Amino acid sequence: MKIDIKHIAKLSRLSLTQKEEEKFTPQMETILESASVLQEVDTSKVQPMKARIPFDNLREDTPKKSLEQDDVLKNAPHSEDGHIKVYGEIFGGIEES
Amino acid sequence: MMSEKQISTNLESKYDLIVGLEIHVQTNTSSKMFCSCPTGYFQEEPNTHVCPVCLGLPGALPVPNKRAIELCILMGLALNCDIDKEIHFDRKHYFYPDLPKGYQISQYKRPICSDGYVETTSGVKIDIERIHQEEDVAKSTHHVENSTGKQYSLIDYNKSGVPLIEIVTRPCIRTAKDAKDFATEIRKIARYLGISDADMEKGQMRCEPNISLQEKGKWEYRDGQILPVGDYKLNPKVEVKNIGSITAVEKSIQYEVERLTKELEEGKEIEQQTRGWNADKNITEYQRTKETADDYRYMPEPDIPVVEISDEDVDRISEELVEIPVERMKRYIGELELSEYAAEVISSSRESSEYFESLYKRLRQDLNEKDSALEASNWLMGPVFAMGNLDIEINDLALLILAFKEGDITKNKAEELLNQSVKEDKNLAEELERVIQQKEELTNNLDDIVKEVIQKNTKAVEDYKGGKQATLGFLVGQVMQATKGAADPNEVRDILIKELK
Repeated sequence: MKIDIKHIAKLSRLSLTQKEEEKFTPQMETILESASVLQEVDTSKVQPMKARIPFDNLREDTPKKSLEQDDVLKNAPHSEDGHIKVYGEIFGGIEES
Repeated sequence: MMSEKQISTNLESKYDLIVGLEIHVQTNTSSKMFCSCPTGYFQEEPNTHVCPVCLGLPGALPVPNKRAIELCILMGLALNCDIDKEIHFDRKHYFYPDLPKGYQISQYKRPICSDGYVETTSGVKIDIERIHQEEDVAKSTHHVENSTGKQYSLIDYNKSGVPLIEIVTRPCIRTAKDAKDFATEIRKIARYLGISDADMEKGQMRCEPNISLQEKGKWEYRDGQILPVGDYKLNPKVEVKNIGSITAVEKSIQYEVERLTKELEEGKEIEQQTRGWNADKNITEYQRTKETADDYRYMPEPDIPVVEISDEDVDRISEELVEIPVERMKRYIGELELSEYAAEVISSSRESSEYFESLYKRLRQDLNEKDSALEASNWLMGPVFAMGNLDIEINDLALLILAFKEGDITKNKAEELLNQSVKEDKNLAEELERVIQQKEELTNNLDDIVKEVIQKNTKAVEDYKGGKQATLGFLVGQVMQATKGAADPNEVRDILIKELK
């Protein structure tokens, strides 16, 4: 199975060196090959196994207390004015959703 | 010879505009989509409405909000969609700091609502492909550090996980105005049904048009898709983001039509891309090449079970439906003979249309159908809207309108009374009664007052009798002053002329 390591790195916003690309490509291909055994199983007559719940059992829309801001920021390596601060140029002003 | 103008029109007409619209609407819930953090983040301290779930901390599990899904279904019902019997959530992966889990919980192959339609106020039918449920991302702002020159982003996760529905149309929109009308209609419906405040400036509603130009006669719209005719290769589409108002929906599409026409005329290859609307410059700007669906590596969300929706659930939700604004507008035109303009303005908000209908119903007790509708719409769109106040007692306002219709009070006086009683917080009905009583007393005394004015102004009377017609105006003024403006100037004039013969 072929892997486009450059494309995958781009999606994960990682910059890999030429050396890393050469090293990771066969590694990832091996992983995919091992996993591809699963593809050989005939699942055409098997129902997907997934838990089911009735609509009424969903969470009622009642707000509860959130974390304290101090606690939220404890996990962040950098913060500023109550915000989590992230360094990097790749974030050039595009908002997803 | 053709003028320059004609040439450019001909160039434009070589292509058809194809637009599909994606509209995101934050739905009006108290708690977030998959956790119980409060939603109202506007002007709140950053990162105070967050918990392990909406921060994407390891091991935290999402639990869907029932009300959010009800609102998604409600929008689906209003837009004549089919409602799925099962809800399946999927993970949409991309790596970005506003998305802490590394994926957004969304819906891919099975949206809750599909295959609907809605009509715009100008009668254009817009096909809805789907409405699905997802979650909003965090808010990030981008800066440069003074000391180091490094770029960085500041992230506030309060918005992360707020319920969001995405409404997707088929590529069936053919003009920029239809796109604007559709967005307007969605906003109205969202507000009518209490689904969302849909304030675009606050980001509660976001519109993203997908735009392409195709050569005339080289494409067809079949099964909700644009298909090439023969060996024609379809031009790729451009997605425009960052649109902050309904007018910008129209303007950005118009801009893209011009830009794409020029590119095509110059023989350039058009790249599928995302562009951002710049509201200061009224242009779109290149942002990036668009990621494809494959890049999002969609997969079923394993942390949320399949949710089963019964017919009873849908029936219960549909009890919240009301006649949608465009239907209401059509009824006002068809049954009540309102002008298209009046019908559109009055039906544009649920509050004003409900006020109108109550006022109409009350006037119907005393007036015929046509007059009731006309007076109700005139008074609502005139003085009531001007005061921006829908708290005026319907019955009091009706009495005022009826007094005017009976000729007991002039329109100016009636409006003045309405303004005054609202401004000074007085009871309109009592004020009206007082004024009418005053006027009756005055009418009885008017002859005497006129005689008195004639006696006091001998000079003016002589001038008038000597042929100076203009003096009559002065005398009318004197009488009006003596009655403190309560008399009808035309009536005063008639009495004066009679007396001075």
